[in-house]
Amino acid sequence: MIDPLIQGLLLVLQWKALAFMLLGIGLGFWVGLLPGLGGATTLALMLPFIYTMQPAEAFAFLLGMHSVCATTGDITSVLFGVPGEATTAAVILDGHAMAKKGEAGRALGAALASSLVGALVGALALVLAIPIVRPLVLSFGSPELFMLAIVGLAFIASLSSQGARGMLRGFAAGALGLLLATVGQDPQAGVARFTLDTLYLWQGLDLVPVLVGMFAIPEIVDLAVRGTSIAGELPPGRLNKGAWEGVKDTFRHFGLTIRCSLIGTFIGIMPGLGGSVAQWMAYGHATQSAKNAEEQKGFGQGDVRGVLGPCAATNSKEGGALIPTIAFGVPGSTAMAILLGGFFLMGLVPGPDMLTTYLPITFSMAWTIVLANVITVVVSFLFLNRLAAITSVRGTLLIPVILVLVFIGSYTANSNYGDLVVTLVFGGIGYLMVLGGWPRAPFVLGLVLGKIVENYLYISMARYGSSWLTRPVVLVLFVVAVVVILYPLVQARRTAARRGAHA
Amino acid sequence: MRITFAIVAVLALGVCAPQYGQAQTSPYAGKTITIVVGYKPGGGYDATARLLARHLPDHIPGKPTIIVQNMPGANSLIAANNVYAVAKPDGLTMGTFNRNLPIAQLTNVAGVKFDMRKFAWIGSAASEATILAIRDDLPYKTFDEMKKAGKEIVIGATGPGANTYDFPLLIKDLLGVKLKIVSGYSSSSDIMLAIERKEADGRAGSYTSIVNFIDRKLVRPVIRARASEPGIEKLPVDEDLAPNPRAKAIMALRSAPEVIGRPYVMPPGTPDAMVKIMRDAFAKAIKDPKLVAEAKKTKMDLNFVSGDEALKVVNEVMSQPKDIVDEFSKYIKFGE
Repeated sequence: MIDPLIQGLLLVLQWKALAFMLLGIGLGFWVGLLPGLGGATTLALMLPFIYTMQPAEAFAFLLGMHSVCATTGDITSVLFGVPGEATTAAVILDGHAMAKKGEAGRALGAALASSLVGALVGALALVLAIPIVRPLVLSFGSPELFMLAIVGLAFIASLSSQGARGMLRGFAAGALGLLLATVGQDPQAGVARFTLDTLYLWQGLDLVPVLVGMFAIPEIVDLAVRGTSIAGELPPGRLNKGAWEGVKDTFRHFGLTIRCSLIGTFIGIMPGLGGSVAQWMAYGHATQSAKNAEEQKGFGQGDVRGVLGPCAATNSKEGGALIPTIAFGVPGSTAMAILLGGFFLMGLVPGPDMLTTYLPITFSMAWTIVLANVITVVVSFLFLNRLAAITSVRGTLLIPVILVLVFIGSYTANSNYGDLVVTLVFGGIGYLMVLGGWPRAPFVLGLVLGKIVENYLYISMARYGSSWLTRPVVLVLFVVAVVVILYPLVQARRTAARRGAHA
Repeated sequence: MRITFAIVAVLALGVCAPQYGQAQTSPYAGKTITIVVGYKPGGGYDATARLLARHLPDHIPGKPTIIVQNMPGANSLIAANNVYAVAKPDGLTMGTFNRNLPIAQLTNVAGVKFDMRKFAWIGSAASEATILAIRDDLPYKTFDEMKKAGKEIVIGATGPGANTYDFPLLIKDLLGVKLKIVSGYSSSSDIMLAIERKEADGRAGSYTSIVNFIDRKLVRPVIRARASEPGIEKLPVDEDLAPNPRAKAIMALRSAPEVIGRPYVMPPGTPDAMVKIMRDAFAKAIKDPKLVAEAKKTKMDLNFVSGDEALKVVNEVMSQPKDIVDEFSKYIKFGE
């Protein structure tokens, strides 16, 4: 175990591999910052460049690029409220709210530090999971994946505001998300559902334009209406000092950061759940850490824990997603599916060999994730306070730039005018939701999980009848879902009781 | 006399032209050709197009630049409509779409605004050899044993319109094998995992996507469709087992487009001279040792089909009698 681990490190530290990794990091940095342009697309575009490379060099290049995307995507999300990647949308809720309070530096510091922790946990999981990965993944069949998605939906309870009214709104928003996930050709009968007779909607709603519209447009409107800078009228001096505070926050809430990293890793390991689920479940878990109703209300208004959770999960997910890719040749995400092409190109066949003969290469991937993240975070810290100063730039100067980024970003999804229409429509919906005090997170959770819930429920019923309901893991997950739903109620009661005791 | 002279002149020009400094006179010198792909980056159609974009220029006089543009949506109907009607027929646009578009046209799918027969066909870069593979640890070793056993076999699939779904559907309904098709898996590798955990007993799909798992002894192939590849020639072919001509026609119709698995076309009305240059280049590029070596590395199996042959397949699909088409539409939906 130790020997291949060191061999793996030496593979990455060869000057050529290191150079390619730095090149990859440089590319990934920009891809992450720009909204829309995703890590997966860039991987596909860069694949041809690895023909002449050695395996360790190729993976240092590709993984270096990929693991940085999510980290720098958080920066765009925090600063502008525009999701830099589809996987970094959850950070906006609290990260951008912090930026508006003049705490952009702190939010960025927290985002980067927790991203690093997440990446390290993911890489460590990659190394540790190797012996148990087969039974773990194989014990999760379609019924278990369905229940896991239900647990995800249960988090709506924590993502909604307290009280019957808040819950009702939260679950209604979630239901709307589920409903909109049915748009497109269904995979059982091939019927086109709610496509409004357009070809554009055949493949369903694309997540990127929906998320960009839903989160970015309301922020832009808000910025224009306020007529100030993002951080309002705060003296600029304060902005430049927060980054280190954010790092301290990460360690202040270290338990939460680790737990969210583990959630991310786990979601990453499960093939078929998709990359954008992890952040929302982690965010849901982060809101559970509120100790009382007051704190609960603070989420969405700029609570640093709402930044730590999703950032950690988004980055730990990548290490997790590598596990099934390496061990089974079954990719856990789109990006991993493309990386799989890279394996073949290098003459490597994913499967048991990767855990024995090619173990040093497998470990070199874990090292690449670690090194790429450390380098990015250190380099970013040099700019961080400068970046945060953007939030004190006058809104009228910033809005045109953000608008261009928003529309180019959503257009890259399908290069279709439909993308722009979807962005505008969901921008309108998002704005109304913000005005009316409806939570957006449950809606997105419903949208992201809708297809998974539908398909795995269908497969479970078609394959097992109703007998899948009694499978042990299904039952355990069911209990977890119930606990997650009841948790806010218990919490509210406890707070009330405590208050009663004080009075 | 004048006419004869003209004919001679044209012939002479036609013969001589290629010899006179091709690079200067080639309509492609200094130009940029766009390959429009009907899918997002990352899939098989996209990978083939990018491979061709790198090697085609070596075989086109004037060595133009070739770029790939992804135009995803509606299983590449959007891209096909665009190349058919919007793109200029100036020889600088080429499209590659879902191989089942002729079937979409045949079954009158809403949104089809093209006639597959009117495209300027360049050819196809690969054939899609579809097979059905079942778990190696099942007691049946051959298709016959599987059929005779009469036990239900669970087949995982993605959805209607994909070969993971359509191929086993016809085997079930027309050849009377007891299959249970469970669809909704998000990708073919997801089905493979379901097979690994014994949730599904088998799956259909392209031979290239399954061969690794056959080598690993997870699954064994039992039956294939018309298109073949080295390694599966000896498998029984679904059409040969058809109980009646009608069933045979339906199976033949489903598998016809698989012969032109990676179709390449130019907009209707593209000048013949340019189509010819592109056809020649396409034929040469696919046999170029450099390209073959690269394709082999990525486990891509390329197989050249000429433009004329491809058009013949399309015409064959489009000329089916109405009753066969009606019957066919009951089983097969255009999708994925």
